[in-house]
Order: sequence, then C-alpha cells, then structure tokens
Amino acid sequence: MSSSDILVSVRDLEVEFSTREGPVKAINKISFDIPRGKTVGLVGESGSGKSVTSLAAMRLIPNPPGQVTGGQILFNGTDLLKISEAEMRKIRGNKISMIFQEPMTSLNPVFTVGYQIAETLMLHQGLSKSQARAKTLDLLNQVGIPNPSQKIDAYPHEMSGGQKQRVMIAMAIGCEPDLLIADEPTTALDVTIQKQVLDLLQDLQEKYKMSMLFITHDLGVIADIADDVVVMYRGDIVEKNKTEEIFLRPSHPYTKGLLACRPPLTEHPRRLVTVSDFMTVDGKEKVAPKIEYVNPTRSFTEAANPVVLEVKDLKKHFPIRGGIFGGVVDHFKAVDGVSFSVRKGRTLGLVGESGCGKTTLGRTILRLIEPTGGDILWKGQNITHIGSEPMRQLRRQMQIIFQDPYASLNPRMTVGAAITEPMEIHKIHGQKAERLARAEHLLEKVGLPAKALSRYPHEFSGGQRQRICIARALAVEPEFIVCDESVSALDVSIQAQILNLLLDLQEEMNLTYIFISHDLAVVKFIADDVLVMNKGKIVEMASAEEIYKNPRDEYTRKLLSAIPKGVPKTLLDRGITLPNLNA
Amino acid sequence: MKFLARKIKGNSLWSDALRRLLNDRFATWSFVVITVYVVMAILVFFNLVGSSWQESMGPSREAPDLSQGPLHWMGLDIFGRSVVLKTIQGTYTAMYVGLVSSLIAIPIGVLFGAVAGYFGGWVDDLITWFSTMLANIPEFLLLIAIAIAMGKGTTTVCIALGVTSWVGLARLIRAEFMKHKNREYVVAAQALGGGHMRRIMKHIFPNVLHIVIISFSLRFVTGIKSEVILTYLGLGAEIGQRSSWGLMIADASGELMQGVWWGLAAATAAMFPIVLAFSLFADALRDAIDPKLRH
Repeated sequence: MSSSDILVSVRDLEVEFSTREGPVKAINKISFDIPRGKTVGLVGESGSGKSVTSLAAMRLIPNPPGQVTGGQILFNGTDLLKISEAEMRKIRGNKISMIFQEPMTSLNPVFTVGYQIAETLMLHQGLSKSQARAKTLDLLNQVGIPNPSQKIDAYPHEMSGGQKQRVMIAMAIGCEPDLLIADEPTTALDVTIQKQVLDLLQDLQEKYKMSMLFITHDLGVIADIADDVVVMYRGDIVEKNKTEEIFLRPSHPYTKGLLACRPPLTEHPRRLVTVSDFMTVDGKEKVAPKIEYVNPTRSFTEAANPVVLEVKDLKKHFPIRGGIFGGVVDHFKAVDGVSFSVRKGRTLGLVGESGCGKTTLGRTILRLIEPTGGDILWKGQNITHIGSEPMRQLRRQMQIIFQDPYASLNPRMTVGAAITEPMEIHKIHGQKAERLARAEHLLEKVGLPAKALSRYPHEFSGGQRQRICIARALAVEPEFIVCDESVSALDVSIQAQILNLLLDLQEEMNLTYIFISHDLAVVKFIADDVLVMNKGKIVEMASAEEIYKNPRDEYTRKLLSAIPKGVPKTLLDRGITLPNLNA
Repeated sequence: MKFLARKIKGNSLWSDALRRLLNDRFATWSFVVITVYVVMAILVFFNLVGSSWQESMGPSREAPDLSQGPLHWMGLDIFGRSVVLKTIQGTYTAMYVGLVSSLIAIPIGVLFGAVAGYFGGWVDDLITWFSTMLANIPEFLLLIAIAIAMGKGTTTVCIALGVTSWVGLARLIRAEFMKHKNREYVVAAQALGGGHMRRIMKHIFPNVLHIVIISFSLRFVTGIKSEVILTYLGLGAEIGQRSSWGLMIADASGELMQGVWWGLAAATAAMFPIVLAFSLFADALRDAIDPKLRH
C-alpha cells in the first residue's frame, strides 16, 4: 500500500497517566495505519487503551492526569501531536469527528437536536442559518430519522436511544469528515437497534468514502463492518490483520479467547469459553480445554423441579398525568396481563427490547414495584398483597442482581459491609465475626480474594463488582434470583465469565433464575425456557432451543435476525466456517 | 501538611477526601485559621483569656498605642476597656452563634428534607408547603419578630437564625433523597429486606452527608455575619457578660464621627479571616467530598 493510501498513521504512540502510585502507561508504543476509505476495528476489553488511543488522535486526553509521552499521529502526513491548538480545532469535528458510546449524555438536553447539528455546520463550514437548517434536514433524512422536518425541532429527551445515536452520527458526518471515530457506538443500545446503527454506519462510510476507526469490545460486532482489525490488550497491540484473517487464523491467544467467548447460537456448550482458557494473566498461551457440549434441553421431573413461582395475569400500569389539574388521562401499560410459571432449579429467559416491560415485570414479581392487578404465587402462597413484614421475610428466598454493577453497590460501604448487611437484616449466620467469615467464603465462591472484604466498590472493575453483587445476593441463601440484564453492561469476555459463574452456582445450589436480557444469544445459552416480551405482553413462550429453531412470532424473528453473526459476511457467503478453536 | 496526607491509610471515599484536603494549601491554612478561632473561643469560655475585659485600663477612647503593651494595641473604648480584649471576647460570641444556629438549622433541614424526599406523596407536599411559606416571609422580618417575642440576647439570635435558615438545606437534601431513593443500590437494599430506616440512614444518608458538611461550614459563616448584623440592629447580644463584634460595630456608629475608628477596625479585622477561612474551607470541602466533582 502506498503512503498516499494511508489517511492516519499512528507511530510508536505512548500515553501515560499519573496516579497516586506513580505513572502508569496506558498505551505502550503502538503503531497502526488507517487506510483511506476503509474501516479499522480496534478491539479490546475495558482498560486495554482503545479509547485512550482515539482520544489521543483527537488530542482530547485530559491533562493532567494523562499525557502523550512519545510517538506520532500522522493525519494526511501532518503530525497531530505537533500542531497548535487553533489548528487542531479546525480539524476536530471537521476533518476528524467522533461518536461516543452514550447517546443519552452526549447531546445537550437544553437545545433542540436541529440546533446542535446546525451549530457544527455553521462553525466549521461557514454556512448561514438557513443553509445549515436545510443541510441538517438532509442529514437527519440520511441517518434515517423518521419525519425529519418535525424531529429537527425536537429536544433530545423526546427521542429514543437509537434515534439519539443517529443524531450523533448526523452531527459527526455533517462536515463530511475524512475520519470518523466511533467509540463503542452500539454498546449502550439493544441488539435490534445495534444492527440498524451498524448498517447505517456502513452505508454512510461507503457513500462519503470516509475512513472509520471503530472501537469495540466485541469482535462479533465488527465482523461485517471492519476491513482490518487491531486487537489491543493492556496497552499493547497483540495482533493486527485483515478482518477475514483474524477470524480464520487468529494467532494471539487473546484474540482466540475473544472470538470463542461469545455465546454460540448453534451449539450448546456446558460452559462458555473465556479468555483465561487461552492465556494466563501475563499473556502466555495455554492449551485451551475442549468444550463439552450438552443436550440443550434439560429434562425435569415434577418431584425434583416443582413449580415455585407462578404469575397469573400480572399487570402494572403507570398513570399518565396531564391536563391543567394534573389528572390521570391515560395509563402506560408496562406489564399487561402476563402469566407464566417457573420450576425449581431451572432458568426462565425473558427477552425484549428496552421499554418492553421486562425490567418492570422482574421488579413487580419481587414486589419492588407494587402490581396493579393479577397474582404472584410463591410456592403456592399468594404474595401479591401480603404485608411489608412478611414480604421482608420472604426476601430471603428471592433475590435480584441488577444490570449496572457500578450503581448497585453503595459507594460508601466496604465490600464486607455490603455482603454482611443482608445477614444482619435477617439476623442469620451468628455474630459479626462469623458473618465476615461467611462473606469471605462467598467471595471465594464468586472468584474474588478474601482481602476484597475491606475494600470499597470503586476499587473494582465492572466484572468484579458484578461478582460482589452476586455474592451479596447469595448471602441470604436465596432459592430464586432475578438477573436483570446482569451481564449487559459487561465486556463480552467478562460476560462469559459471569454467565459461567451463574451456571455453576445454579448447579451447586439448585437455584432458580429469571434471566432478563435484550440479547437472545445470551438468553439462549443460559435459559431453559424463553419468554419474548413486546409492549408489556408475552408474544412467544417456548423452550430456548425451540425459540431459536422455529420462531413463530414476527417479533421474535426480528430479534433473532439482529444478533451479530460473529462471522464476516464475505466468509458466510462463500460457505466458509470458522475453525473450532478448542478442537 | 503533605506529610500527613501521605500517612492516611485506607481507600474509602472519606479517607480519600481527607487526603485531598490535606494536599490543598488553601484548605489547610483555612483549617489552621478556624482552629485558632475555635481554641480562642474555648479559652474565653473557660475564662482563661480576656476575663478581665471589663476592667478600665486608662482614659476613655484612648487611641491605639503600641508602646503600652498588647492590651493597648487597638486602643480603649468609651469606658477605657481594652479593645483587644473585647475583640477576643467577641470571638466566643461569634463562634457560639455560628455553632448553635447551625446545630439548630441543620438537623431540622436534614430531617424535613430527608422525610419529604424519601417518602414523597402528601408528606412531601406538606413539608414543601410549610417550608415555602416560611421562605416567603422576608427573613429579617421573621428574625425581628422572633427576637421581639423571645426578648433580646445571644440565645435568641441563635434560635431565630436556626429556625429560619433550614429551608435551603431542606430543599437540597430533599432533591438528593429523591434522586438516591430510586438508585439501584437502594433498591438492592430493599430487595435484601432492608426497611425504611436502614435505607434512609445506612444507604442514602452517607451519600448526601457531603452536602450536610458543606452547608454546615457555609451556615457557620452566615451565622457569624447575621449575629453581627442583628446585634447592630439592636436585636442581638445585650451589653452584659460577653462582648460581641456586633456590639463593637454598633458602638462605632456613634464613635466614628469623633474619629474613634479602632473599635470598628478591630471587629472587622477579627471577622475577616474567619469568614474568609470558612468560605474557602467550604469550597475546598466541596471539591474534596462531592462525588460529582470527581474524575
């Protein structure tokens, strides 16, 4: 490839962050190129340095504590690290633009979306107000916002997450940049919306012939979109190659681990493969264990697996207030007449998009939200209307693990205090010393060292925090756990570890789960039976295997088709299958 | 203070905040100033310093004189009493009013704010209605009304300031409680079987405590300033056992015309560092303990 084909060339880039313990290298002399009109996927887990790399290219690394300590970022031959801030401002948002992970927070809530897009156009392209508005309309149309002439005057809160991300994309491509940096643009979105956004980005890239740097933790997501893939691990590039090559012949154990850890759709392994099956912590290759495949349909008997939870015609309606006097004008039917039952020791998957009512359903079953109608029967006892004290006692048996491990632990409580608190509440496991000993045991069970007890939640990574939440839920020895999107906020590699942990715990303690997720692939792996929810109602209910093989409802099919195949389309079209890395 | 900062162990948000405070030069110096005033007030309380302030030291309204020893440095008042000693005595009054009025206002504000924000519904409506009503009466009119009803005196000033100034804090705390009560960690506590008290005291309160601490230091300054103003208006400390900066400033209104500036100068000079120190300290506290301002 001649040098004129290269748009961006990163050479020996080094970034350091100063911390209390001294300087820490976030990026360690990395080099890669982004060719013109091509997409480079930058893959790695949280903390691997992939976002820092993109921020370095935009010269947006917060200083202090961060600092570029060496290397070059050549953009069209100019070193971006050497030019003045004024020159950089002309490039930023104009020649290089960026889309972020969180569309909810990257738009300013007090301005209309039209104004925010037009502002960039007026600033960088010198358009007049009316020209900018006309171009904004055109951009909104291009990114597939329905009814753009109305939506141009809408405020961010009037749009859905997917629409907001489209607005961000419109803003980013407004000045027809040479390079678009997409930092995990689909991670916060549902699988179905993710697919739409990926398709859109691909179309736009072809149309504008721009280069794209696509950052993600999930190799499956970029199988179709990236031409080249750069894999980062702990600040180093461990592998870079053409996308097809990466998928067909991954050379580094970390890449192999990333490829293998996604829940497969066709087979049913007993446990998911994790990165640690392929390599040791310090990056040495290990011989991966053989995957043990099991019969996806676990049998059950009436005696061993009696029905423990029965939900009959459950409803939760939220009043919508309006009018001058704030009277109830309508109801939002979050859960609308749902019935199902769960057997002991089994897992019921609950799938649907954001806003379909699955979280409300999970919380209503636990009476964290009071139901509007219907019945909840726990082991035959109707708990829909029992008083707060008997319900508090029952909570020992029924637990919940939330989605966001950052929000579900009290930042002011040590891990030890968090895990012993439920024992304290229910006055179980003796005195403080015994409770701490038990907490230590629980931590061990979820794969954390005992010394974590005296530390605070902010000292742990997302995956570790989710383990702490699991340990806390287990502290009361529950029989039934609602996992509310418990792995959705985690990297795929960490997600596999947590799913394995949940399976092991189920096996060991005969736990019953309701597993809520928007990702059918994850649900198919962990659940025995699956409920598909849409607009507060159940649209399909069948065994996990059946749902995947013969989806009956249109909506289920839509959810299924949105799951990234995890294989480049070019390979699928030629009928080439990926090698089995564990064989 | 950096050497102390390095010694702090632990990784809780509180020890981290303390480390930040000790690394902040302004905060450290402000704290030193506050400590000096507090120690002074304690010494005055136990009559270890300035107990002889009512004794006449010389002629009425003698100008500052550096040659006659420290007690004459800021001159003498109308009765020939040392202005230096009066100012030191005033420290006690100021700190007393600052502390006691805060100790009255803050628990009321926290309690009402927490209850209104956590329970919502009619409880919230009632508290909000009451506090809005109170906030709508001009503060000084209310203070004057209370002072007249209860009679003059330092304690009256404290109570008057205490019961009128909790509204702002209550609103802040209410908003924070409303935000936190639906956070997942609080819902998690509910799911684990934790009752209302546990959720309020153990989970939400430590997460809003920074607001209480910051508003305590801000209230303290307001308390000191309001005491001076109220006393100046003739509603505060009576001429009696203890002197007060407000009294000194009130006296100055007549004396200034005669060129007697030292009473006013001494009271102002004493007030300035403590008000500045408290304001800077409150600022540094917010930087150190407000989780929102963290990276």
